[in-house]
Amino acid sequence: MDAILDILEDLKSGEDYRGRTDLVDARVLDSLTILALTSELEDTFDISIPAVEIVAANFNSLEAIWAMVQRLRDEDF
Amino acid sequence: MKSYFSLMVLGLFVPAAVALYQLAPRRARPLVLLAASYAFFWSISGKLLAFLLFSTLSVWATGLVLEELQRRRAAEMRDPDVDRRVVKRRFARYMRAAVAACVVANLGVLAALKYLAFFEAVAAPLLAPLGIEVPQGGLRLGVPIGISFYTLSAVSYVVDVYRKTSPADHNPVRLALFLAFFPQIMEGPIARYNETACSLWSGRPVTAENLFGGTARALWGLAKKLIVADRVNVFVKTVFDGSASVDGGVVALAAVLYTIQLYCDFSGTMDFAVGVGRIFGTRLPENFRQPFASRTASEFWQRWHVTLGAWFRDYVFYPVSLSKPIKRLTNGSRHLLGNRMGPLAASGVALACVWFGNGLWHGAGGQYLLFGAYYFVLIWLGGLMAPLAERLCPRLGIDHDGAAWHAWQRGRTLVVIFIGELIFRASSAPEALGLLGTLASGFSLASFADGTVFSMGMDAADFGVVACAVAVLAAVGRLRERGAHPVRRAWELPVPVRAAAMVALAFVIVIFGAYGGSYVPVDPMYAQF
Repeated sequence: MDAILDILEDLKSGEDYRGRTDLVDARVLDSLTILALTSELEDTFDISIPAVEIVAANFNSLEAIWAMVQRLRDEDF
Repeated sequence: MKSYFSLMVLGLFVPAAVALYQLAPRRARPLVLLAASYAFFWSISGKLLAFLLFSTLSVWATGLVLEELQRRRAAEMRDPDVDRRVVKRRFARYMRAAVAACVVANLGVLAALKYLAFFEAVAAPLLAPLGIEVPQGGLRLGVPIGISFYTLSAVSYVVDVYRKTSPADHNPVRLALFLAFFPQIMEGPIARYNETACSLWSGRPVTAENLFGGTARALWGLAKKLIVADRVNVFVKTVFDGSASVDGGVVALAAVLYTIQLYCDFSGTMDFAVGVGRIFGTRLPENFRQPFASRTASEFWQRWHVTLGAWFRDYVFYPVSLSKPIKRLTNGSRHLLGNRMGPLAASGVALACVWFGNGLWHGAGGQYLLFGAYYFVLIWLGGLMAPLAERLCPRLGIDHDGAAWHAWQRGRTLVVIFIGELIFRASSAPEALGLLGTLASGFSLASFADGTVFSMGMDAADFGVVACAVAVLAAVGRLRERGAHPVRRAWELPVPVRAAAMVALAFVIVIFGAYGGSYVPVDPMYAQF
């Protein structure tokens, strides 16, 4: 999960990502940031993120992002 | 019944629908709502109801096909001897074909009814040199009320079933009610299946709380529409229907007033929709979140016509951005331009699709495409320039998070919005450019100084009423922005006080409403889109 935090800090610094559950709902992550994040996650974790996964529930918290990454990794095998 | 705010709808149709709904047994209530919705649709579009039925049945059938394909895929995947990736790919092909056929059919109907005449007019001069004569005038069948709204809801249902974020509905009548619910058929909000379908179908009884709360919300919308939007309409029409004879100062004022008119008309209609939805026990999604508090054009579109922006984000922006060619472009540009700028640059393709679609969705006209192109350029460049502004502000001694900078951003965004609405209101792209030219080269305050501005459909008293109403709306918006909910707080007051407030609001509408005399009733503005 630290790797995801590093990516988020790199894309948009100055936000407190830990413990938040409203990153999309509070518009901390806008659609362009999510797009950049998606691209980074795909490279870092060697996964493919389809459009169907781009829903607020998957990006509202660090834990949700991590859960999506793990699920997509499992699905690829 | 061309407007929700007519005596026929407010005084007869809605009360009758509420009474019949409440008197019916719980299981029959959704049928009462559907009958009322189809009667409402029929009263405006008559036999064009057939197109709404086509959309309903096509997405219902496609949902069932997708569910069956998902079931078969799951069954095959359980077989240990099969290559799961091959099965996944095969069924993905089948399901995409089913979704594509349904989406193309629904968007095809929309295109044929709403855009064919525009496409024919565009194609005619292009094909004339080749000796090809393009017939003109479109299908001449008319355009069903709300087709732009219910088609997007229909497409979202099918894609959501494909994505497994919504279940396939086996009940075509429930799906029909979801698409046809009369308070939202004319102007939205563009609801998703998960948001309203089951709630509408539940047949909840009308409670006193919902009846009064919903009525108050609808009254609030009526106030916006009658006191502000319809009053301002006279001035806006005068200027835009004869823009050649006015100076830039009047054009600027007309752009501001048109923005106010559009907001009060559209958000007022949304208040009606949400209010009547509440009476029937259903919470419709909100379409406005204090849009004039936005600090960027991008933020404005997250606060203005929220459900349309969300639809384009979920069903155009992300799918295009995450398609294989754009992903390749994103990765290439990331290596070239970095992690932040690379995806932003590549996202230009998806943004262009969104804004071409958004412009075209609003109407078959060059001014709407220009409107879309305007916001595409502003939002894309805004994204690209944001990191530069973040770096420059500290060097210039500007507090990036300070109130002064935020105020400057809000003021700048307001100007962006006014110019956008000026383009939007023009009757064609050349006229929009002409108005912008008048604004830039012929700006003068002479019409204000000599009082000409008061002879264009609004006198000083009208301007006073609009200014007071805008001040009230701004104050309410400011409280909402700070997290307060003044209407909800007012609702905690004793019943007699609430009842008195509603009567007072009704009196304010009666006294200050722009109706009768020189005023003409104005159909809900977004119903034409």
